[in-house]
Amino acid sequence: MFQSVDEVVTGLGGQSYICNKNVATVVYLGTRLQKPILVEGPAGVGKTELGKVLAGALGMELIRLQCYEGLDEAKALYEWEYAKQLLYTQILKDKIGEVLHGTQTLQQAVDCIANQDGVFFSDRFLLPRPLLKALLAERPSVLLIDEVDKSDAEFEAFLLEVLSDFQITVPEIGTLKAKHIPLVVLTSNNSREMSDALKRRCLHLYLDFPDSEREMEIIKLKVPGVGEQLAKEVVRLLHRLRKLDLKKTPSISESLDWVKALTLLNIKQLDSEIVEQTLSTLMKYEADIRKAHQELKAYIAERKARQGTSTGDGDKDHLH
Amino acid sequence: MEERIVEFTNVLRRNGVRVSLSENMDAFRALGLVGIRDPHLFRNALRTTLVKRSSDVKPFEELFDFFFLGIGQAIDALDRRIMEELGLTPSQFQEMLEQIQKLLKQMEGDLSELTRALLTGNRGELERLLREAASQEAETGAADSFRLTPYTRMAARLGLDRVHTDVERFKGMLQMLAESGEDLQNVIRYLDERMRDLNRLLREIIQQEQRKRGVEPNDLSQRSSFADKSFSFYTEDDIRRMNEAVARLAQRLKNRLSVRRKKAARGRFNVKATLRRNLQYGGVPFHIEVDRRKKTKPQVMILCDISDSVLNASRFMLQFVYSVQDLYSKVRSFVFVSEIGEVTRLFEEHEIHHAVEAALKGDVIDVFSHSNFGRAFELFYKNYFPAVSGKTTVLIIGDGRNNYNRPNEWVLKEIQQKAKQLIWLNPESRMTWGVGDSEMPRYALHCDVAEECRSINQLYKVVDLIAP
Repeated sequence: MFQSVDEVVTGLGGQSYICNKNVATVVYLGTRLQKPILVEGPAGVGKTELGKVLAGALGMELIRLQCYEGLDEAKALYEWEYAKQLLYTQILKDKIGEVLHGTQTLQQAVDCIANQDGVFFSDRFLLPRPLLKALLAERPSVLLIDEVDKSDAEFEAFLLEVLSDFQITVPEIGTLKAKHIPLVVLTSNNSREMSDALKRRCLHLYLDFPDSEREMEIIKLKVPGVGEQLAKEVVRLLHRLRKLDLKKTPSISESLDWVKALTLLNIKQLDSEIVEQTLSTLMKYEADIRKAHQELKAYIAERKARQGTSTGDGDKDHLH
Repeated sequence: MEERIVEFTNVLRRNGVRVSLSENMDAFRALGLVGIRDPHLFRNALRTTLVKRSSDVKPFEELFDFFFLGIGQAIDALDRRIMEELGLTPSQFQEMLEQIQKLLKQMEGDLSELTRALLTGNRGELERLLREAASQEAETGAADSFRLTPYTRMAARLGLDRVHTDVERFKGMLQMLAESGEDLQNVIRYLDERMRDLNRLLREIIQQEQRKRGVEPNDLSQRSSFADKSFSFYTEDDIRRMNEAVARLAQRLKNRLSVRRKKAARGRFNVKATLRRNLQYGGVPFHIEVDRRKKTKPQVMILCDISDSVLNASRFMLQFVYSVQDLYSKVRSFVFVSEIGEVTRLFEEHEIHHAVEAALKGDVIDVFSHSNFGRAFELFYKNYFPAVSGKTTVLIIGDGRNNYNRPNEWVLKEIQQKAKQLIWLNPESRMTWGVGDSEMPRYALHCDVAEECRSINQLYKVVDLIAP
């Protein structure tokens, strides 16, 4: 368990995840207060990744639940295996016969079976799904509930009970209480606003695109072979592109893909031709690509102008 | 310290951030862990425990600065925020302020002290003026008048209307300059931001003053009445709030849809199919078969009047149309004045505000002509009528003011016969239907539903009509 905010930064850093103090504070509080963390933000800023590295940093098992429309308790919590139960009773028919051997009346037989109740209704026939798995885990675990905004409002309401009390009632068996309270991370893309009730139970963290410096760090960390010059240019261009009104803003993972592609092609400096050829790794819509082209032209023209006036000094200039 | 934090949560609540008791307790527990010595941690701890909506982050930051740092530093923080908002570095910001100073000199007539201090970023002066007004208010305020709110009193004391006219004048001049080719976009945005900041500062100062005197400020009444407010009386502030409302409305639509899907998935128990399927298990019903109800996605065609007479309403309505189109796959959207044009593609490809502005600006059709419903309907009949099917809901939004042109109500009759339903939403009050050039009674005859739709609450009811 983390002892201080700084420890969180180094811990996550050890998992190649670069985070700022804001993020670290929330994670620290989440682990210490044992409260779920609700992470919101645009797609591709590392929300899911945060859950994963958290598990890695704490050396806990990661249990992941991917949400989607129509997800229900049977898929998220547990399923009762009727078929298996029935199969067992079929196979054990002879054995049951033996147990019932001594009984005379129907009443006695029923009582006799009733005594063996536990065999038929045990967690043997309970198929744990992610939520139950996280609650019943022998060691503390990290439960990642991904894209919780994709689930229905009903499922969200159902989550409330699990997240506040960390216990579940299974009709066949009874109430199961968590052995260890798992560290819960929920992520949301904000495709719908989560209910206030859910938000109240969580700590809230808003992740946004990183600033230029941090993005540089990330790129250098994730793509070791990248040249300094190239990384700088890419970050600068990316920040310009993100300001445009695009259908899908380039995410961190896409920019990493792009840098990887550029490094593979052994590019040292961006020029319009090479960017045009590789832009499809970054942009996923035709209209976006068109817009990006225009921005790109402006960018290259600007760079040329800059290099014309002060050769070599251009790099120290800030964006804008 | 505890008291300070409780007070702070109260301030948050008054500014529309919902903070529950349990969240408040979380904040205390969190502070117990991180302590209050590091201001950065302190702020983070409060934010993560108290603020749960991303739209609330900005008010939180501002109020935090104001509450824990005082007026002077709050002004500083506002400066920083404006810089960020406009994407300027401090030196560029300074340059812009100098530019403004120069421009102000060019302007004819004097400015009030406050305008000058506000626009040129003179913090010391601004703070002095605000404090003076606040202390005057504290001395004489309540006795002054029982009819005016403290805000109007403070505003009068500071000469706020003067500031408004000054800024408007200044903006007018800038616009003229901008037309002659100078790039003044940033300056204009800066002015808007500044005016907003001033208002916010003022409210906050008043509340603090009142709190000192033990009067509880009260501005809760705004929220509830907003939903009943007519579109045509919307102010700038309302329009901003309306975005939020549209999002909620769309959410409501979506929820209805998901409930319907759930029902469809359950369906009715089918004995025959169940027996057949479970023959392989000797008739033991492992798998239940149900008759699935068919999911019908609504097919909607929306015709939205965007003529000048209903401008405020149509802005809102277009946002609504946009949200509807976002939710359902089979929506076609049209706008009309005297011609009719399809905006489905436009809405698909662009972000909401851009799309709505483009539609209103006349990218699709000529918006400066006089509205002519008859002609628009005729054109619709000619070009798009084949797309109307028995499953289509046709939704017309407009005031039905036809400028005494031919009404062509036969088109509506045709549509009504062919479509599933025809709904007309009129942003005018029912009382005025048929008065003057309004053809509403004639049109309403052919509509399955013709409703007055002047506020969000009325729109809520319409949502129920589209997706029952």
